[in-house]
Amino acid sequence: MAELKTSQIVGTPYIDGKYAAILDMWPLEAPECNRIYPFYDNLKQGRWTTTKCKKCGNIDYPPGVACTKCWSDDLEWVDLPKTARIAAVTEMAGPPTGFESPLVMAWLGFDKSHPLKHLLVRLINCKLADVKNGDEVKLVTFEVPSHPIDVKKETKICDRVYYAFEPVKK
Amino acid sequence: MAQKKNAVIVGGGTSKFGVRAATIFDMLQEAANALSKDIPGLKPKDVDGLIFASTTAGRNSNSLNTAPIVAHRLGIYPTSICVRVDTLCSGSNTAIILATGLIESGISDCILVCGTEKLNMPQRWESVYMNLITNDHDWDSAMGLAVPPPFFTMIAQHHMKKYGTTKEQMGAVSVTNYAYGFNNPNAQFGGKSLNLDEYLVARTVCEPFGLNDCCPVTDGASAVIVASEERAKAMTDRPLVYIRGTGQTSTHGMSAHWPADTLADWPHLKHAGEIAYKAAGLTPKDIDVAQTHDCFTISEIIEVEELGFCKKGEGGEFCASGGIKVDGQTPVNTDGGLLAIGHPYGATGARQAVEICKQLQGRALNQVKDAKFGLTHNLSGVCAQHTVVIYGTEPR
Ligand SMILES: [Zn+2]
Repeated sequence: MAELKTSQIVGTPYIDGKYAAILDMWPLEAPECNRIYPFYDNLKQGRWTTTKCKKCGNIDYPPGVACTKCWSDDLEWVDLPKTARIAAVTEMAGPPTGFESPLVMAWLGFDKSHPLKHLLVRLINCKLADVKNGDEVKLVTFEVPSHPIDVKKETKICDRVYYAFEPVKK
Repeated sequence: MAQKKNAVIVGGGTSKFGVRAATIFDMLQEAANALSKDIPGLKPKDVDGLIFASTTAGRNSNSLNTAPIVAHRLGIYPTSICVRVDTLCSGSNTAIILATGLIESGISDCILVCGTEKLNMPQRWESVYMNLITNDHDWDSAMGLAVPPPFFTMIAQHHMKKYGTTKEQMGAVSVTNYAYGFNNPNAQFGGKSLNLDEYLVARTVCEPFGLNDCCPVTDGASAVIVASEERAKAMTDRPLVYIRGTGQTSTHGMSAHWPADTLADWPHLKHAGEIAYKAAGLTPKDIDVAQTHDCFTISEIIEVEELGFCKKGEGGEFCASGGIKVDGQTPVNTDGGLLAIGHPYGATGARQAVEICKQLQGRALNQVKDAKFGLTHNLSGVCAQHTVVIYGTEPR
């Protein structure tokens, strides 16, 4: 279990050490907080997954509880191929607090066989100068800070992961 | 069913836009004061409805369910509608569409449409960090997308590659809009001139954007009155400005569902324009003056294409050759636009409506000769939603 990070918040001393979801930059991934938690559980195993409609065959992204094509809730989890090519790339010198500066962001294009056509992503483990349009990139996962959640009289710590993309080594 | 009424925009006003030592309620009162000077006969008690636009009020100004508080601060006792609209950059333009429907149906007779944001926070980091919740938080924002420059630089890259648009052409948009905003007393960059050489050497924000390609971070408020034709006649002797047609499209929350193969093409804006033109009984050629959403220079270039003022792909040339100037084919952003005035999201649509109202009444600072038909446009989200409103000196 990852250590829970606490913080001192200047000007609001009475919330010292307490977690405020309204300031959280990451999703609430725990089963107590959403119904697509298998996405995050699979991500922890290195799998990139989403929901497919058993009624009409539509594959949604992000995953959901009902199909966006027919609103059926008869869905199954499927794996997504984890590589793509860069269709545009840029860097931001003043990213939001919590992200590295400069932040490298890319617009990805996928193979015709991939359910997704495009995806806006953060590129990590590279500098802007290391990458160009057409380069192949792959999904990479990493731990992000845990948060507490009140479960009856106990405090449960919710561990979390998220994903970005990185260059495929040539 | 009762016959459909005509909705008109009677007048409006804005606060000073900029980095303001003021709350949203201070700025809304400033806008109301400006409105009272624009329509001297108007009293708070004349207003029967309030549609208030703000997206960040709930976070930056610690105020949810804000509409009743705004009504109180402005001395309004709504009897037909009192509601807040949250569509980010198109907030008060969305509110104008709603007001039009309520006036045309007879549910309301005189609606105050206003919008505001307080975007500059006591510490600068919060202004950027807060923007994480204006996008699809768990998907786009978790990738680091907060403020929009990274996404729009990719749009610019695609437009430059596909259509040959140049940095100099983007600069022409900025230079033109700063010139329009120069004499605007409420503009964040009022009194600031810009030439192409200064534009080209400005600090890089996000390649290929320099400082003057991007609208600033702005606080401000604006307010307009939308009323029935009969009510407006009793309120003002000025020529009436009719709301003739509207359109609003929304294609995606998460940017991955962008509706075209490249970011250079905005079919969802083209569609919103077509819906509004059809409703107005007009074509792009009929538009004498337009206020389009120049959040970035590339935005205005693509907007003049998709709204039909020039051919697709020729927006850069159209802007650089003077098509957007006051004596050009279709003058655009004649009050300075977002680039020079600034962009407090929810306040922008109503601010644009004030300018079109003045243009069509022949009393704008940078007046377009004999302007009869005007258009306003906002984009919002990750260029996901497009809102178009068309005005005319005659009803449809
Ligand atoms: Zn389905």
